[in-house]
Amino acid sequence: MFNYDSAANINLPARRRFLQQAGLGFGSLALASMLREEHTATASEPVNAISLNGADPLALRAPKFPGKVKSIIWLFMTGAPSQVDTWDYKPELQKRDGETLAGSDPKTGFFTTSGKCLKSPFAWGQYGESGSWVSDLFPHLSQHVDKMCFLHSMYLKQNNHAPASLELMCGTNRPGLPALGAWMTYGLGSQNQNLPSYVVLHDTRPRGDDQIWSAGFLPKTYQALALDSRRKESIDNLTRDAKHSNQQQRTQLDLIRELNQRHAIDRATQADLAARINSFELAYRMQMAAPEALDLASETDAVHKLYGMDRPECETFSRQCLLARRLVERGVRFVQIFAGKGVDGDGSVNDVPWDCHSDVQVNHRSCGLHTDQPAAALLADLEARGLLDSTLVIWGGEFGRTSDSQGAKGRDHNPNGFTIWMAGAGVKGGFHYGATDPFGYKAVENKVHVNDLHATLLHLLGIEHTQLTYKFNGRDFRLTDVGGEVLKDILA
Amino acid sequence: MKTLKRITALQALPIAALAIALMSRSECSAADESGISFFEQKIRPMLVEHCYACHSVEALENKKLQGALYLDSAAGVAAGGESGAVVVTGKSADSLLMKALRYDGLEMPPSGKLSDEVIADFAKWIDLGAPDPREGSVPVKPKREINLDEGRRWWAFQPLQAVKLPIAANPIDGFISIAQQSQGLKPGVPAGKEALLRRAYFDLIGLPPTPEQMAAYVADASPRAFEKVVDELLASPAYGERWARHWLDAARFAESGGYEFDRFRPGAYHYRDWVISALNSDMAYDQFVQMQLAGDVISPDSIEGAAATGFLVAGPYPGQITVKTVERIRYDQLDDMMMTIGGSMLGLTLGCARCHEHKYDPIPHQDYYALAAAMATTAHGPRPLDPDPAATALAQEKHNADQQPLLDALNAFAATELPTRFTTWQEKELSKQPAATRWQTMEPVDLEAERSYLKESAGGLIVHDGMLAAGSVVRQRGQSRKVRADEVYRLTFHTHQKNLQSLRLDAFTDGSLPARGPGLNSDGSFQLGEITVTARPINLQSKDVPKNLKLKPLFAAFEDKDQPLSNAADGRPETAWIVKTTAKKDNAAIFEFEEPLAGFDGGTELVVELTFRELGMGRLRFAFSVDPNPATWAGEVTTQHASELRAIMATHGKELPDSMRVPLARWFAPFDPETAKVFYAVRDHRAAVPRPHLQEVYTTVSGGQDVFFLRRGEVDNKAGKAEPGFLQVMWRKNEDPAVADSPAAHPRVALAKWMTDVNNGAGALLARVIVNRLWQHHLGQGIVGTPNDFGVQGDRPTHPELLEHLAQELLRQGWKLKPLHRAIMLSDVYQQSHVINPDNLKIDSANRYWWHFPPRRLEAETIRDALLAAGGNGDSLMYGASVLEDSQRRSVYLRVKRSELLPIMAIFDAPEPTQSIGKRSVTTVPTQALAMMNSPLVRQQAEKLTARIRPTADQPLSTSIVLAYQIAFGRSPSEAEQLQMTAFIEKQREAIGRDSPESTEKALTEFCHVLLCLNEFVYID
Repeated sequence: MFNYDSAANINLPARRRFLQQAGLGFGSLALASMLREEHTATASEPVNAISLNGADPLALRAPKFPGKVKSIIWLFMTGAPSQVDTWDYKPELQKRDGETLAGSDPKTGFFTTSGKCLKSPFAWGQYGESGSWVSDLFPHLSQHVDKMCFLHSMYLKQNNHAPASLELMCGTNRPGLPALGAWMTYGLGSQNQNLPSYVVLHDTRPRGDDQIWSAGFLPKTYQALALDSRRKESIDNLTRDAKHSNQQQRTQLDLIRELNQRHAIDRATQADLAARINSFELAYRMQMAAPEALDLASETDAVHKLYGMDRPECETFSRQCLLARRLVERGVRFVQIFAGKGVDGDGSVNDVPWDCHSDVQVNHRSCGLHTDQPAAALLADLEARGLLDSTLVIWGGEFGRTSDSQGAKGRDHNPNGFTIWMAGAGVKGGFHYGATDPFGYKAVENKVHVNDLHATLLHLLGIEHTQLTYKFNGRDFRLTDVGGEVLKDILA
Repeated sequence: MKTLKRITALQALPIAALAIALMSRSECSAADESGISFFEQKIRPMLVEHCYACHSVEALENKKLQGALYLDSAAGVAAGGESGAVVVTGKSADSLLMKALRYDGLEMPPSGKLSDEVIADFAKWIDLGAPDPREGSVPVKPKREINLDEGRRWWAFQPLQAVKLPIAANPIDGFISIAQQSQGLKPGVPAGKEALLRRAYFDLIGLPPTPEQMAAYVADASPRAFEKVVDELLASPAYGERWARHWLDAARFAESGGYEFDRFRPGAYHYRDWVISALNSDMAYDQFVQMQLAGDVISPDSIEGAAATGFLVAGPYPGQITVKTVERIRYDQLDDMMMTIGGSMLGLTLGCARCHEHKYDPIPHQDYYALAAAMATTAHGPRPLDPDPAATALAQEKHNADQQPLLDALNAFAATELPTRFTTWQEKELSKQPAATRWQTMEPVDLEAERSYLKESAGGLIVHDGMLAAGSVVRQRGQSRKVRADEVYRLTFHTHQKNLQSLRLDAFTDGSLPARGPGLNSDGSFQLGEITVTARPINLQSKDVPKNLKLKPLFAAFEDKDQPLSNAADGRPETAWIVKTTAKKDNAAIFEFEEPLAGFDGGTELVVELTFRELGMGRLRFAFSVDPNPATWAGEVTTQHASELRAIMATHGKELPDSMRVPLARWFAPFDPETAKVFYAVRDHRAAVPRPHLQEVYTTVSGGQDVFFLRRGEVDNKAGKAEPGFLQVMWRKNEDPAVADSPAAHPRVALAKWMTDVNNGAGALLARVIVNRLWQHHLGQGIVGTPNDFGVQGDRPTHPELLEHLAQELLRQGWKLKPLHRAIMLSDVYQQSHVINPDNLKIDSANRYWWHFPPRRLEAETIRDALLAAGGNGDSLMYGASVLEDSQRRSVYLRVKRSELLPIMAIFDAPEPTQSIGKRSVTTVPTQALAMMNSPLVRQQAEKLTARIRPTADQPLSTSIVLAYQIAFGRSPSEAEQLQMTAFIEKQREAIGRDSPESTEKALTEFCHVLLCLNEFVYID
């Protein structure tokens, strides 16, 4: 539709420079010298892993080595599910219900726990060729265990929702740091210039809010686009004002482009002028592309049914999962879904649905109903479309729960051991890594800290985590802070 | 002395490690065979099995080494690890290794605690002198030693250097020109008048010039025309609004706590207002800094002082804190202050020295804690303050003065009319008054309260009439006092009756009270800690001794058996009559005097003091009785008035002494309208005393606790209390000025002084950092490119002498910033054009030598302000609580809530207010373009601009186009532009439909919308 060759009245050298700076042609890729050893910095240029100086910050950047993963979908089980009621079967705990939990540490939870074992109230079974144990919370997901790579030995340091969510997404719990998705886009650029590269889908906003998907000190370009399910995922300013027609707006944009180009001629050193000219065209395209990407009506009834969109208890999450698939299909790098609440009456709080302080059975049953079918459908759908070869799906909360009870039937926060699983590109399926103690209380074998998880994810994307740095206020920051080891054992 | 102590404590660590290394070697050689054999049997196997995986040379090779600790050689054990010595030979109790094995603070091995026997073996081994035959050495990791003498040679830490001024009209241009010549660069050409004026307006006040302002300037041929403009702009209040925003970035200002709850801080905006006002008044920068570090101490109880230290507490702070996390969070909070002070004021990354020696700059680990120790007693919270105590005092004085005529009237009335009116009344009416019921309600003659304003109401009712906030400082009755958190009511009553037997207190519910009362606490509860009653003669000349009446609690309408009424009369304020569960009902309590009160000649004054926990009662009434056995009575009441009159008559007969006339008025008032008029005029006036309009300021409050030196920044790893001190690299003499100067001063005042002390403190660096910020905001890039980092990792100054000159100039001007703005803006380098000289471009493509003016995009706030200015609908109201996006006030007043940054601000790169920001990133993304193309705000402003450029329907199109260009860009369109725009408007008219009567207006809106989207609108040259 828009052709730069028709751009008028620019003298040639200036125009060529302009085209380069506008991120067109592959000249701009040369600017994306990724790694710091390859980047000769002058004294006053920040020594960043990626030079953004003048380059389109979203230009696609080739990873250092071929990554198996192009996109990540992170199903964030907000509020923190219990590992011993979901994926980490502990016969010992089942046997010793009510008995003293050996090694129970009153410092673990956020409130106080009884110190007595609370067995899982759910029925457990083995599934798949891998014979993986799954509780009956997940009749759908249990059909996919052979795709899943379980990390049973996750741990982190924070024991409350917001700080732990920050630690989980940003590497440490200090506010002001960029989240994984922002680092990813900074490291790899965008695969689809018509859509944002980092999208968050949330219901009630989770604890920690914007900061969990913040670009932190990275340029705001890398901030997530957060879509609120309560507003049916509408995007601010995406719709043209009804007061003028598409044709009128197009005429406007043509004039804007021409005048801006004229303005840029004697300001040739200002790369951002060219980028800004480009951004209006991108915005115009996004105005078309985003509604298309978010339009679920174009999916068949069978797909809607597969995801469970006809079921009120999981309608929101199913819509989010289906959107995630559509976004990833269109090249979005990182989609994160913060699970909301399914049906009322399970005693949980909106912004932390899995937070089963009072009754794990009632609470988790409801959360399972809300998330199980859509998540399973997502795996099946991605696989059927061949997208699982380049997409990694991650399932997990911000921490785990105590194996001893809080009150009679609840479980408190427990950052010392919990399970997340990943399925799809680059990881072994039906594989169990690490372990908690016999009660599922603490990670003891092959412990995995958030930094290790991040290092592994970056590795899967083709980025060496120690090389992805950004200089801010005098220090080279990285997602993995001063830690992080790639979990080689889990790589496929 | 202090210095010595601190350094000793902090250096104990390496010294101890060394001592152990020496000792263990000698001990080892002396150890007998049995010690070695004990090691071999009991200790070595345990070490191999449980420790080597993470603490050995092999672990290092496997990248599994933890804590830089090697337990696979005697040397390794002796050397200790990151946390210091692990073994104190011969003293197992003092050895870190034992703490770790016992899971006391540290937990080793992490896989599970070893058995008690094994732990006992380790203790025995250490007590034996830790005999250890193992050889091998500790791999030495080259550790950077901070050399302070060398550090002092870093340019930024040196005293200000005298610079030789170049020969030039403006020394700034001299320095620039010398550097340009050395590079073979040609100087730039002057900017056109229009571009220059637009630049100056946006730079100084963040708003565009109006077409009239532009025309006046262009027409002013005087050589001082620009100078005049600069002076005008510097004097404009909009200057403070513009430049405050730059400082607020550096101060990571926001109005909420961040983290999960992100609680809004309603009083936080006072800091923003203070910055605006300080800049507008051209407060000296040293004072500006001092106030932010210690304004609460320098100017106690003033709203300015409290607002200024809002700087220290503006950072994020978790909303959910538990006993488990409180200490770590406290150190995070200190770190936030340290990083912000470091980045914004000193241009130093102080936060890097929290866990270890600064890796690049000469800032030892201990210096971090010495600086942090100044904040030991600094916590944060809201404080209610009177923004204008003088005005309040004045109003109160005036009010008191206004009372005199009312008193005079009362006295005159009492002397003249009262006696006859009373005599007439008592003869005809007194006998008709009913006899007193058993309970007589008492009318207070005076009301005092710690926190409340109380007033009298009909029937002896005492009504709550407003509250003071705890912690606020108020002047009352000529005295300044700090309001306590707990309420005390002191109520004074008079009576002339004799033989008082009992006292009744009613506490009423009411719709006006929180949860209907009767208490004023938010749930309607109250907790009465103690009630005391003192009786004394009204007659001040009387020699009778006051009595503290003993109260026997008889009965409460509602009481909890655990918190009964008797708790209020047991002489122990720590126990209380707590009315919580039965709140929301009228309550009453009855006390009997242990001995009946005979009463004093000339009348009795009863002073009842009620001491509450937290807040008091909202509506209460006292009554007394002269009959015994009150517990059995019904609640019938009359006021005391008639009985008092009878009692006075009984004493004095019909001949009223002069001294009784005025007191009589009180008791007579309910029966005589004229008396009531003069008497209640005095009473009501007294109740209407002017009150301070307290405002809540989010600032420093007392709290916090001692700061400890933390090894590795870990709260479980304390190494002694940290004493306040300053950065050693900036000690000018060989001792810490913190200790040398005034050891008694408040540590933050000492810090503030040191920070601004050019000769013996950080003043030189402070000056360099701020002049660099000024330069950066005027010229797009600092002389030091990293405004928040003047350390080794930061940029070196491109023009060191210019920087020194500007810093000296700042000091010469008494730290005033406005003269410096002026000097920079009157320079040729500032006034040059953006035009690019191709030859220069080849030499210095990055324009480090300022051979042309670098165009730049407006910041988020300025874009929004410019949009409002274009529409002509900006609201210039200054100061006050923050507003939301739909307001038309300047963007500096927009709410900054950490989790809900306003989209229009965030889209255009307003920073996350979590850390000090010296330089914003400037991104260009489609969401910005979407906002310009489609947001209701921009469309609305295009419509408003249309209305401005086409005030009447007969306005020629060409005139509208010219006016639009002047408003949006500060210039007129070229002929070609004029033609092109006309063509565009015509085309739009066609699309709309030429026949439509609104087609011109609508087409013009399309045109105005285009102008607002253009780069020229959001860039300044």
